[in-house]
Amino acid sequence: MPARSILGLCGLTLLGLTGAVLAQAPSTGTDLKATIALNGFPCDKVVDSKRNADSDYTATCKDGNRYRVYVDANGRVVVKKL
Amino acid sequence: MKAWLRASPDSHKNRPVNRGRTITPGARDRAMRTHHVAALAMSIVLAACTHASLGARAVTGESPATEAPPPAAIEPAPAAESPTAPAPQPAASPSVTEPEGGAANVATPAAAPSESVPSASSQSGAASAKPRPAKQATAPKTAAVSPAPAPAAAVAAATAAALPPSKAAGPPPLDLKGLEQRLRDTRAIGLFTKLSLKNQVDDLLAQFKAFHQGQPGLTVAQLRQKYELLLMKVVTLLQDGDPALASAVSSSREAIWEVLTDPQKFAAIGYST
Repeated sequence: MPARSILGLCGLTLLGLTGAVLAQAPSTGTDLKATIALNGFPCDKVVDSKRNADSDYTATCKDGNRYRVYVDANGRVVVKKL
Repeated sequence: MKAWLRASPDSHKNRPVNRGRTITPGARDRAMRTHHVAALAMSIVLAACTHASLGARAVTGESPATEAPPPAAIEPAPAAESPTAPAPQPAASPSVTEPEGGAANVATPAAAPSESVPSASSQSGAASAKPRPAKQATAPKTAAVSPAPAPAAAVAAATAAALPPSKAAGPPPLDLKGLEQRLRDTRAIGLFTKLSLKNQVDDLLAQFKAFHQGQPGLTVAQLRQKYELLLMKVVTLLQDGDPALASAVSSSREAIWEVLTDPQKFAAIGYST
């Protein structure tokens, strides 16, 4: 019984650590969604994203709208509705 | 009922009988032990109460001391600012997005139509006088993370160190550099989001610069609205992934606003487009 308890505790600890690590790194979809929203476009959730080039993505939102999110030559994040 | 009435006088009658009993030494010892135990328990409880009340006094005693540092603290941070420093701080207005109205505009009436900057800063300072004590509870995290490199900040730190322990534990000064670094380092928001925020911060700083140069355009009230809106965006983005930083940014709201509206403090942060 003690061995099982220790194993269970270790498992729970690992699960907790994994959750913390995952929580720290936002996914590309989350990042794109926040960026789209920050630039004034509606996007409830990014359901699909495609990387076109460095710092250049095409995101598809849950409502079907597609946006191109990229960084221009001046270092500004640009969101264009496709 | 009657039986009970009858019984109670009987039991009452029994007491004098008990009093009349001869007390044996053993019974006396037992009674003394009981009293000693009760006295010990009472003394422990009293000591605990005294300790708790002293602790509460110590905490409340810090609050007056906490009010002194913030005004002195505002100045060191801007001096430490580099030209790129102001960017990630919560101070930008959406250039891409249109001003969405007064969703975030809580203090706009306070800063309302006055065009002159000194009056604006004084107004905001007066308006911020009340909320500050509540904000100072979260502020310590900011200074603990990153030290301010400026000499003025060092002087402020030395002053804080020279204070008695109860006073030194007060709220730290506004550390724009530290907030900026924490915003850069946080993993609560992604790269695109950070860059978007930086763009918006730069846009707002450019508008403040134009305002201080006397160019016609935005009023203090409009700038305040944009500032509040951007700050709300930053806090919203941070509050789930990095609540400590969100709290630090939120608690620095008025201090940052004072820096932005004061021409000298704004010039000290060294922003240039």
